[in-house]
Amino acid sequence: MSTDTRADEGGSVLARPLDWLETQSEEVYAYVLLVPAFLLLAVVAFYPLIETFRFSLLADAIASADPFGEFVGLDNYVALLTGDTNFTQQFVSVSLSGSFPFVGFGAPFLQQAIFVTLAFAILSVLFETTIGFGQALVLDQDFYGRRWVRVAIIIPWAIPIVIQAMIFFLLFNPTIGFGTEFMRWLGVFGNTPLSSSSDSFVIVLVADIWKTTAFMALLILAGLQSIDRGLYDVAKVSGASPWQRFKYITLPLVAPALLVAMLFRTMDAMRIYGLIDATAGCETVPSLTCLVIIALNESRRWATASSVAFLTAVVISAFVVVYLVALRNSDGGVA
Amino acid sequence: MSDRPVADGGSTADGDPTVEMAEQAERDEPDLDRGVFEAWAAKAISNPNRAYRATFYVATIFFLVTTLFPFYWLFVIAMTPRNALSTTGVLTPGGTPRAAVDLPLIDAALSVPVGLGPINPGSFVDIFQTLPFHRYVFNSFLIATVATVAVLFVGSLAGYVFGRLDFRGRNPLLLLVLVTSFFPPAAFFIPLNRLFNANVDVLRPLISAGSLYNTPYAIFIPLSAIFLPLAIFILMTFYSQIPDGLEDAARVEGTTRIGALFRVIVPLSAPGVATAGVLTFISVYNEYFFSSLMTDGQPGNWAPMLEGTLRFQGEFEVLYNLMAASSIVAVLPVAILVVVAQEKIVSGLTTGAVKE
Repeated sequence: MSTDTRADEGGSVLARPLDWLETQSEEVYAYVLLVPAFLLLAVVAFYPLIETFRFSLLADAIASADPFGEFVGLDNYVALLTGDTNFTQQFVSVSLSGSFPFVGFGAPFLQQAIFVTLAFAILSVLFETTIGFGQALVLDQDFYGRRWVRVAIIIPWAIPIVIQAMIFFLLFNPTIGFGTEFMRWLGVFGNTPLSSSSDSFVIVLVADIWKTTAFMALLILAGLQSIDRGLYDVAKVSGASPWQRFKYITLPLVAPALLVAMLFRTMDAMRIYGLIDATAGCETVPSLTCLVIIALNESRRWATASSVAFLTAVVISAFVVVYLVALRNSDGGVA
Repeated sequence: MSDRPVADGGSTADGDPTVEMAEQAERDEPDLDRGVFEAWAAKAISNPNRAYRATFYVATIFFLVTTLFPFYWLFVIAMTPRNALSTTGVLTPGGTPRAAVDLPLIDAALSVPVGLGPINPGSFVDIFQTLPFHRYVFNSFLIATVATVAVLFVGSLAGYVFGRLDFRGRNPLLLLVLVTSFFPPAAFFIPLNRLFNANVDVLRPLISAGSLYNTPYAIFIPLSAIFLPLAIFILMTFYSQIPDGLEDAARVEGTTRIGALFRVIVPLSAPGVATAGVLTFISVYNEYFFSSLMTDGQPGNWAPMLEGTLRFQGEFEVLYNLMAASSIVAVLPVAILVVVAQEKIVSGLTTGAVKE
């Protein structure tokens, strides 16, 4: 905000605060320069986060003009976690709970959303790490045209989520895409994969792996390139096979970078929303963020939506803590 | 996708069959009855490096095909005339004349394209006529550019402080910045949505409706804040590498502290600033959550590109070819950016993560 006023006003007005700044200690100078950044973060992140928590302690008021009712404490959370929260029609749809293979028939919606989000995060991070490691090993070699191979590998990471969703929507569209036909030939999918929860889950997973593996690959590549090449020469001289060189040099030395990369990806994967919204739809594959939007837009239950949103943040923080502990144990000073 | 394994198997097995056979013969191997593949396998066993090289090539080709094929296929759909969409093939546009060829050994037929069917490059014109798609792309561009400039300015101040100054509370404040990037946007959304929908009379002269909903601010303010931490980390790393002497020299010459930052530190860290800029631009351009929720989807209300693309999916019946064409158009800016600035992207992503 201070930037605007500075741009509007002339040089002479600008001069005085600058002069004042010159005379202050380094500490005061530091705090003044941090003001714009923290103002922005406060408006967009800190204040809303606290507000979300406050909203989540209020009751839903579906009919009135103000969407929040009286203070009810942790009732929203209790209702969500015990499965008492009933959403409108689409939430109890039989196709949802019935066809998803991992969650029992008629499971409460929040449990499904937590399950879908965690399953998605774990599976996608595992696949992306494995494939990304492969890509990083390829990019670590010296070969003709390496620059272009790297461009090709990065491009999926850089495309908009909505385009990624369009590609997979079209691929698995029964009339024009060959994906449905191919998967049916394999015996995995049904006729309309984008309206079946389990099939859509696989599609969303594959789409995410296709796009974000490159991110893992780049972070792992950075770890690979920081390894001292001399170690490999020593190993070669002592007769280690390439597999042994990989197992005893590459893997342990790249592990810290790998864990950091996995932490970033897990946090990101647990926010999954756009890809689902633009392919199968939030009712088919409910993630936690999806649940927030549905509760907000379709049933106008702002307080419930707030508690789901805050719960999402809590689940993600729990994951982050687990990772940080693992990091600290693995290598001391990385975290 | 289905044809990938075949292609890969081919490239490894018959890479150099004749040469290999000849070599094999010269080296007076007693077993002359080996087939091409067995001969290759025998060589691979006697010289493992060959096997590793082959694996490397197979892997490279596999990664190239999987990452690039979807774009090719999108192009194929965009070129297919609307009435032929249901016959779109894996490699060829719909409407291509085909002939069935019986496969040997297994009981199946493969339809092989023969000749050229009608193609329709007109989709790339239609997307701008059916909807003002250019307006959507322009909105996205403007939002991304403004957000990038804002993030670079605010991030430069903060990156300078964290990278070069020593003060009490540095680490807790840095941690606070980092924590912001942990939380999901959904945790910020509900209060922000309320805030941006509220009528603020002060804003009336600036925005006719009096609320920030349906204005570019509703998208670019949250996105600037969300992508600010990454920019701060990148800029902090680059700014901390400038020697103190250069800054001191500028101060002796008579610049102010702010002047030293913007006349010495920032220009000397140009690669770092470019890196943070490219990453912020791509991230904002690609973002989905806030971009889809902060406007009502009308191009005149600053709806970004994603709303335009989704319109082809929802509002009209089946405009698959237009969906594909609009996707290609929307991808072009970032694709070009990746080709031009790939080193920056790579270094930015890695410094951003390693710092943590």
